[in-house]
Amino acid sequence: MSPEPLLAVRGVDFGYGGAFRLEDVSFEVERAEVFAVIGPNSSGKTTLIRLLTKVHEPQRGEIRLGGIALGRLSRRALARQVAVVPQELTLAFPLTVEELALMGRHPHAEGRFFEGPEDLARAWEAMALAGVLDLGQQPLDTLSGGERQRAVLARALAQEPRLLLLDEPTSHLDLRHQREIVGLLRRLNRERALTVVLVSHDLNLAGEVADRLLLLAGGRVVRIGSSDEVLEEGLLEEVYGCPVRVEKSPASGRPVVMIRWPDADEGR
Amino acid sequence: MITRRQAFLGTGGVAVALAAVSAAALTLGAAPLTLSEVVSVLLGREAPELAATVVLGLRLPRILLAAVAGAGLTVAGVAFQALTRNPLADPAVLGVASGAAFGAVVGQLAGLEGSLLAAFGLSAVAFAGALVAAAAVYLIAAVGGRLPIQTLLLAGVITGLFFSAAITLIISLVDLARLGGILHWLMGSLGTLGYRPVGVMALGCAVGTGAVYAQARALNLLALGEESALQLGVEAERVKRVIFVAASLLTGVVVAHTGPIGFVGLIVPHAVRLAVGSDNRLLIPVAAGAGATFLVFADTLARVAVRPAELPVGVITAFCGAPFFVYLLRTRFRRGLA
Amino acid sequence: MSGRRVAVPARPTRVVSLAPSLTEIVYALGAGERLVGVTEYCDYPKEATAKPKVGGIYTPNFEAILTLRPDLALATTEGNREEHVRGLAALGIPVYVVRPVDFATVLQSIERVGRLLGRQGEAAALAGSMRQEAEAIARAVEGVRRPRVLYVLWGNPLIVPGRDTLITDLIRRAGGESVTRDEPLAYPRFSVEEAMARQPERIVLAQHGEASVDERLREWQHLRLLPAVRQGRIHPIDGNLMHRPGPRILEGLRTLARLLHPEVPW
Repeated sequence: MSPEPLLAVRGVDFGYGGAFRLEDVSFEVERAEVFAVIGPNSSGKTTLIRLLTKVHEPQRGEIRLGGIALGRLSRRALARQVAVVPQELTLAFPLTVEELALMGRHPHAEGRFFEGPEDLARAWEAMALAGVLDLGQQPLDTLSGGERQRAVLARALAQEPRLLLLDEPTSHLDLRHQREIVGLLRRLNRERALTVVLVSHDLNLAGEVADRLLLLAGGRVVRIGSSDEVLEEGLLEEVYGCPVRVEKSPASGRPVVMIRWPDADEGR
Repeated sequence: MITRRQAFLGTGGVAVALAAVSAAALTLGAAPLTLSEVVSVLLGREAPELAATVVLGLRLPRILLAAVAGAGLTVAGVAFQALTRNPLADPAVLGVASGAAFGAVVGQLAGLEGSLLAAFGLSAVAFAGALVAAAAVYLIAAVGGRLPIQTLLLAGVITGLFFSAAITLIISLVDLARLGGILHWLMGSLGTLGYRPVGVMALGCAVGTGAVYAQARALNLLALGEESALQLGVEAERVKRVIFVAASLLTGVVVAHTGPIGFVGLIVPHAVRLAVGSDNRLLIPVAAGAGATFLVFADTLARVAVRPAELPVGVITAFCGAPFFVYLLRTRFRRGLA
Repeated sequence: MSGRRVAVPARPTRVVSLAPSLTEIVYALGAGERLVGVTEYCDYPKEATAKPKVGGIYTPNFEAILTLRPDLALATTEGNREEHVRGLAALGIPVYVVRPVDFATVLQSIERVGRLLGRQGEAAALAGSMRQEAEAIARAVEGVRRPRVLYVLWGNPLIVPGRDTLITDLIRRAGGESVTRDEPLAYPRFSVEEAMARQPERIVLAQHGEASVDERLREWQHLRLLPAVRQGRIHPIDGNLMHRPGPRILEGLRTLARLLHPEVPW
């Protein structure tokens, strides 16, 4: 394993000016790792993605990718290494799957105003990987939620990134599509050594898929570690303010988090 | 995927359409010229003096002006739509045309008329007015860095009304003798007097269109949202600034001479999108040509429909544009874009 | 716009008039048959309405003008736009521009047009007779008390003649004193209250061709506190006689003088 982490976040502070701030966030992601960021809503998870992609700049601290500080990378150079699969796709104008995938080629097309045959080939490759090649000419607004998610993934893969960031990849998907995405991510991670950072509110998904997890709450890092270390009953109850029960999955041995539902008398 | 070849073909096609409509427009007008007379003038052959004067001195510069103005307003529309990620944006809807008109009225009353320098000066003042209006709309409508449709349209209406009121204020203080002229100008007028305004406008539109087209690819990505565009390597802030200024320049330099003409920047991009899609690398040149053709057509209609009187060209564009807009609203927008 | 140097043919035979006042002047000089084109608003004399039309005052149609092959176009600073004058000149048509801002300059414009058309004699006679009668009127009202006059160009909103306008000059010559004669703008929009506060003794309503005089008179009836209204001194007058800087301003002057000074033995 390479000695230097792919992604290193050190002492990062950031706030939008309101009360909420990310404070003193530090963590590392190793190459070819699957890393999950979990935490209650408004804990700063999406803000973190923005910081990792230079949408915002940390007010304190530093972020390094492959040893180079983000401040020293141009947007294009960064986009050649880091791709994002956002939670939602907002389109101002109609696009087909293929057109969306081709947009992922932009970081590589410096100096080229029009895409070339190589861009098209890479885009198709990405679409094939994501399982949407046969939907290429379909307008995005005619696709199902799962298909649209995979189309966005194709765009990200067309960027040929080293690091893939996913923001709530399964939140709008039904069971089958959730399973498909997970399989896809695992395959990409294993076969192409693609480093994956996924932000999710689904604790069980994160626990199942990730090599390591980071629990973020109130803008601060609460714990980093394996799923057993992070998905601990007492800790989760404290952070989420909700009684839970953690058990081991009979299938995979990973922790499974269950809410302890209230009965009619609770809260009297 | 749009290839260079497609862009050339599209541009070529629409240029042919423009040439055809312009040629037809050259044969129409209040003066009773025969087709052969017009052709003779154009081919440099012997022709009656009246024909030569009318064709070369009146119709040709006016058609050129209409073409350049139509192209400029359309590209401004495409640019504003891409910038605001909103298909309902155009210089008139966003109040930018009113800002430009205000600048132009002030400039006209200050005496900026006649010489070449004055033509540049008038364009500059109108450009300034357009910029102020565009900035106002942006400041009013921006919510956390985004421009939601509702606030954007409201901000545009408010800004437009404000500048219209400012214009009204000015003209209420103006001599009655000049009043009529300005009121007519405010209805949109392509009545050109010579090639000078054409030259100035063409220069401004070339610069503006060039600046917008250079950002065409970035604009495509901007359609995904600013965050996604940033994450794909687009320097979104810089692109926005360039487009902002370029679209204001286009609006200013056109409105300075023609007065505010609505619907062109709104309708033509949509019609062209239906035909060639939303990729700006193809959309911008084709829409520019289509806009030029449309305005030449509308102006010709304005010139001949009730000759020797003339309709304001803004009336024609509105009568064509409004029904098309209703059609768009009922078919495409119902499916819920953004 | 006026005061340019213009090369005009010695005896123009194909004249285009770009304003109704100029059309009237040409006809008054007996040169009406030389008019080949007039504006849509040229309604006097009746014969003018049969002439080919070249558009409006603010929107002349250049193609129509060119088709008529004029050797002279007549324009006025009181209405025509400078860019149109320039445009026509650029197309090779000589454009003569008059600047009739008061009674004296209207007479001057008549004389100048007369000279252009080779009708100096008729112009001198017309201007002379107008001058004579104006002087007679001035003598008749000399020493008589000048009533305060409110001239209403347009009722709603109230538009009145201000400083340096033909109407104000005519009112003065007719022996009246316009209550708005010092207003800095030529045709300002005026406050009705302020107009009332100036206690006009006569109100003159300019009629611009529309029918109902009675209705307009009724509009003012509720202002009973005004001496003019109380005494029934609200008078309509044909606006074209006062506002169109042509030969008929004399008729306007005459009518106004008799309105303002019924006590004088005209």
